[in-house]
Amino acid sequence: MTNAHIFALASATALSLFAAPFASAATPADQLVLASNMSSMRGLDPHELNQLESAEVVANLYERLVVLAADKMSEPEPGLAESWIVSPDGKTFTFKIRSGVTFHSGNDLTARDVEWSLRRLVKLGLAPSTDLRQWGFSAENVDTLIRATDDATLVIETPEVWNANLILFSLASFSTSILDSAFLADKAKDGDMGRAYLQTADAGSGPYALRSWRSNELLIADAFKNYWQGAPAMRRVLIRHMPESSAQRLQIEAGDIDVATRLSSTDLNALDTGDKVTIQKTPGFGFYYLALNQKDEILSKPKVREAFRYLIDYDGLAGTVMKFYGVKQQTIIPAGLPGASGENPYTLNIDKAKALLAEAGYPDGFSKVYYATPVTPEYEVAQSLAANAAKAGIKLDLQGGDHIGKFRARDFQLFSARSGERLPDPHAVLNSYATNADNADAAKLTGLLAWRSAWDVPEEIQTMVTAAAHETDPSKRSDLYTKINAAYLEASPALITSFQRTDAKAVRNVVKGYIGHATWLTRWDTVTKAE
Amino acid sequence: MADQEGWNVVSITQTTESRLPDKSALLTGAGKLTASLGVIATTLFGLLVITFVIGRMVPADPVIAVIGDQADQVTYDRVYKEMGLDQPLYVQFGTYLGDVARLDFGQSHITKNPVASDLARVFPATLELATLATLIGAGFGVPLGVVAAVRKGTWVDHVARVVGLLGYSTPIFWLGTIVILVFYATLGWIPGGGRVDIYNEGLVNGPTNSLIVDALLAGEWEVFWSALHHVAAPAIILGYAAMAYLSRMSRSFMLEQLRQEYILTARAKGLGQRPIVWRHAFRNIRVQLLTVVALAYCGLLDGTVLIETVFSWPGLGQYLTSALFFADMNAVLGSVLFIGLISIAINLLSDIVYRFIDPRTRSS
Repeated sequence: MTNAHIFALASATALSLFAAPFASAATPADQLVLASNMSSMRGLDPHELNQLESAEVVANLYERLVVLAADKMSEPEPGLAESWIVSPDGKTFTFKIRSGVTFHSGNDLTARDVEWSLRRLVKLGLAPSTDLRQWGFSAENVDTLIRATDDATLVIETPEVWNANLILFSLASFSTSILDSAFLADKAKDGDMGRAYLQTADAGSGPYALRSWRSNELLIADAFKNYWQGAPAMRRVLIRHMPESSAQRLQIEAGDIDVATRLSSTDLNALDTGDKVTIQKTPGFGFYYLALNQKDEILSKPKVREAFRYLIDYDGLAGTVMKFYGVKQQTIIPAGLPGASGENPYTLNIDKAKALLAEAGYPDGFSKVYYATPVTPEYEVAQSLAANAAKAGIKLDLQGGDHIGKFRARDFQLFSARSGERLPDPHAVLNSYATNADNADAAKLTGLLAWRSAWDVPEEIQTMVTAAAHETDPSKRSDLYTKINAAYLEASPALITSFQRTDAKAVRNVVKGYIGHATWLTRWDTVTKAE
Repeated sequence: MADQEGWNVVSITQTTESRLPDKSALLTGAGKLTASLGVIATTLFGLLVITFVIGRMVPADPVIAVIGDQADQVTYDRVYKEMGLDQPLYVQFGTYLGDVARLDFGQSHITKNPVASDLARVFPATLELATLATLIGAGFGVPLGVVAAVRKGTWVDHVARVVGLLGYSTPIFWLGTIVILVFYATLGWIPGGGRVDIYNEGLVNGPTNSLIVDALLAGEWEVFWSALHHVAAPAIILGYAAMAYLSRMSRSFMLEQLRQEYILTARAKGLGQRPIVWRHAFRNIRVQLLTVVALAYCGLLDGTVLIETVFSWPGLGQYLTSALFFADMNAVLGSVLFIGLISIAINLLSDIVYRFIDPRTRSS
């Protein structure tokens, strides 16, 4: 073969690649295709993961005792528990477990599985175990406090009296998913309760069963034909790893994917102007916040903290950078929850900020280092703040990068990021933002944003937060939260909230029933397609 | 021909020597092998040390990457210990080396799989992309460079140089994005990303993890065509970049040969242009070409991060990038070691091929 022949052959081969038949682009009518950045998915063990994308998968592979509908979050509905009774003293919850539910393995689901699963969550003691441990459950007491009295009855006793909704909301979280105990007994290694196995497999009873998961590539889940509520309409759900926002945008426009997630502001804006896709904004229980370290002499002055509230361009950001990512909110209780307020008294006011700085003794401003997460929209919000602060005489040395470790170690001056809680109750946010039982470094209450900011939260606020969590009367509880909300606003807090987060997804108009869930439990079995 | 004769002499000498190895030659051979293995081991060890140290200097906290930033201190401490981070650095490194010696690269904190099994899954994706790109790059680049050298100063040469310059200067991620925009979003000629159409996902699994090969082995023709169609655009873009490099190098090597006296002699003897170029000049640049093709192939196998990201191609580049972002050190170290091994293997392979195509190298 001569070189000319080789050249011709190479040309023909290359051209034939393009000439290969190309299948039609639209996704199949009975399959749901999601695009996502799967880089941050950390296994599929419900009792270990703590991340949005994994949680959505787990929400559909497993089921929980209680269900929170996406559009009626405040009213717990029966899930695996057919019904429940709360004792008059508010400390004992008795659940009647639904019969006729089978796991993907074919095993019947009983109260023994529920008992084993909830105990497992607490005993593993990993990040999501907070959902039960915060109510006083521990590895030492859980065997006594959570018990199946027969195959159809589960009893949960709480060490203290808490508002019943807090317990029920926790039992609706992905972390309290019920696992197939008999199946996992065979898969356990070295007493790990099936932890290694569950990283890449499932042992649930949900509407979908995991078919395959190739991390950072593709996840396939098949409809579970024996699902007790009937097999879902979408016979298969696929999640494709697509880290590039622009690639997701092009593919959803072409109909190659049905749902696009983690899109950039530019792509969301572009899709919003078209007629094939709807931008779905799901409010989350968290905020974009600015933390001022109270160990810093200057930043600990209330008037300086107050000045920063006048340096945020709330309205300007709301119409641009934050259009899809958040809703303006300066109070601490997320919209839609008891005690929430629509009050937003602060606006960008450089002169007012300057006056407050002068009153605090800093008429010429000061210089500080400002850490911000280098992702959209957090970094743009930080840049805006730094620019406004400069006008008031405050020089902020804005540094992007992963500084969360320094924030947790209280080794920072200013830090801004975004938070997200999974309980649809004010307590979840307030516990982190407005309680700090021990402000000493040695206390290491690193799970609390208030401790990280070294903010000695006023005693009055902390007392009210604790009282509200234990209050069983809904009306009194709502009143308490209204008071807390006002007190927090007046306290010139070290944690300044500017926007309540929203999670934006682009959904093709032909897809019906895909409803973003504020506690990360978006269901696939409610989805249909109207081609 | 002088060069041809010279080759024959060397070849005969080599053949005779290889038939009658004496003891000292064998000892020298063993010594060389030991020295080569020593160099390889040192290279790999150096790679591991540098990667390990840099990995520890990266500000990302691997524990938070696993448990999330809102986890409490008890959970943090527990996972910190589970990951072995409570041990002194030299102990961590020593433990890792011990595991590597047993071919255990540890478990990825992100994927939760053994790193070796992750590499076995992602590398074939990069391998099929890089191989196709190299074939395209060499298939077009080498002839283009040779023709440009032979017709130096003509329009063919100018076109070749412009094509090469464009290939060098165009950012590959930009080219990838434009190709997707034009050929996928506008014309609908190519698929948007991934290795295969949604319809064909999951139909072929193993044994090689190269979808093209596995589909062929399974006789799944629809999957085969789909996989081929998906790999086309990224492979052609990467192949174009490789072509730019290889055509410039081929042109340069060829120009140097065409200035040699034996070419003048051949022309003086009345030999035609084609045999002069392809039978004489080209034969003498094959070793150099092989070196640059091997280098280009190595570069592509190292992970074509940008193109893999633009085309959602789940290969080694994307795997390594994710691991770096989330401080997944087992995955980073395993990938770096694997890339080192691949580079060494390709270099060794090149050395072996040299011996087939250039008899002068056999005596050494």
